[in-house]
Amino acid sequence: MRKLIPANLLIISSGLILFLFSCTPESCFEETESYLKATLYKNGTGRLLSPDSLTVYGISMDSIIYNKAKNVQIALLPLNASTDSCIYIIRINGITDTLKLSYSSYPHLISKECGYTFYHNLDSLTYTTNAIDSIDIRKNTITTINEENIRIFY
Amino acid sequence: MRRTSAYFISLLFILISNLEQVHAQDTILIPLKIKLGLEVSGPAIYFSEKNILNAEGYISVDINEKVSAVLAAGYLNYKYSQYNYEYFNKGMFVRTGADFNLLKPEKSLGKYWAGVGLRYGLSIFNSEVPSFQQENYWGTASSSIAQKTNWGHFVEVSPGVRVEVLKNFSIGWTISLRRLLYTGTGKDLRPIYFPGFGNGGKNFSTGLNYFIVWNIPYKKINVIIKKEVPEETEDTGATGNRQ
Repeated sequence: MRKLIPANLLIISSGLILFLFSCTPESCFEETESYLKATLYKNGTGRLLSPDSLTVYGISMDSIIYNKAKNVQIALLPLNASTDSCIYIIRINGITDTLKLSYSSYPHLISKECGYTFYHNLDSLTYTTNAIDSIDIRKNTITTINEENIRIFY
Repeated sequence: MRRTSAYFISLLFILISNLEQVHAQDTILIPLKIKLGLEVSGPAIYFSEKNILNAEGYISVDINEKVSAVLAAGYLNYKYSQYNYEYFNKGMFVRTGADFNLLKPEKSLGKYWAGVGLRYGLSIFNSEVPSFQQENYWGTASSSIAQKTNWGHFVEVSPGVRVEVLKNFSIGWTISLRRLLYTGTGKDLRPIYFPGFGNGGKNFSTGLNYFIVWNIPYKKINVIIKKEVPEETEDTGATGNRQ
């Protein structure tokens, strides 16, 4: 029985050590923002091709998402969760189009550390056809996952 | 005739000697107990962190020297807030299953337990997100998720140890490894934390529980101890060489 006394202490102290390790806080490392992922295709070739210049900004917004950007094959467009539609101005190689996106938004838990974000269901889109030839919807659900949502042919 | 009687006599000797061997086996008296356990780390944490109150207890009944049937129940009141959201969850849970003592009876003596528990857990809870915000290019969007009652269930494996430190009082700890089976909240609004399981944002959760246990002996059983058979040393040719 005497032999078991140190074992008791060992058992209790090992539990305390485990308890201390179990209290380590965690941080948010996940993607927290859901973007509409728009791939840019050269019309007629069927090839993914970045335009020589791409400018994208939201209508009535001061800041610009892409400003004469080069080498953009996938444009990431955030949606406004406070409204059910938003309009983007898209300038491809100096020619301007507008793109109106209509959608519904719903909350989604990312994780305890990161909290909630909004996911969206893309209902419809309308656009002008100055530089843009056509747009295909590939996946309606707009999430934080890296999945193509629309395909812009220009 | 002589041969036949000699055969029967030798057979009788073999039977008697076997019977003597059975009686000669060692037995040990092990008390079977009803155990009432109280989880103490939950209330201890509550003193320093008023946002989490987890109260939990269990009753277990020894079926034999190795296996106990267990029923645990508890209550959780959980509040969490950080810069972009607030979350409340309040509810109850039950866990049921069995504990398996991996110690040999002659080591455990009904006082020491080192083994593993297997449990099925069921939880009912009310969760609410009073507010959350998300910032992006378009500004800050705010929303809330109304209070809703949901069920969740899970399975648990819990290895651990318990030691009787005073007569009929044990202390010990278990590590809980839980696998979420289902929450009725859907994949988008999984519970951040729910009773009995913990972090519901993930499919696996772990926990550490400290228990104080009151043991009530209700029966004693004789358990046969397997004798360790000493290994026979085989004679080698060396013996022969000595002659």
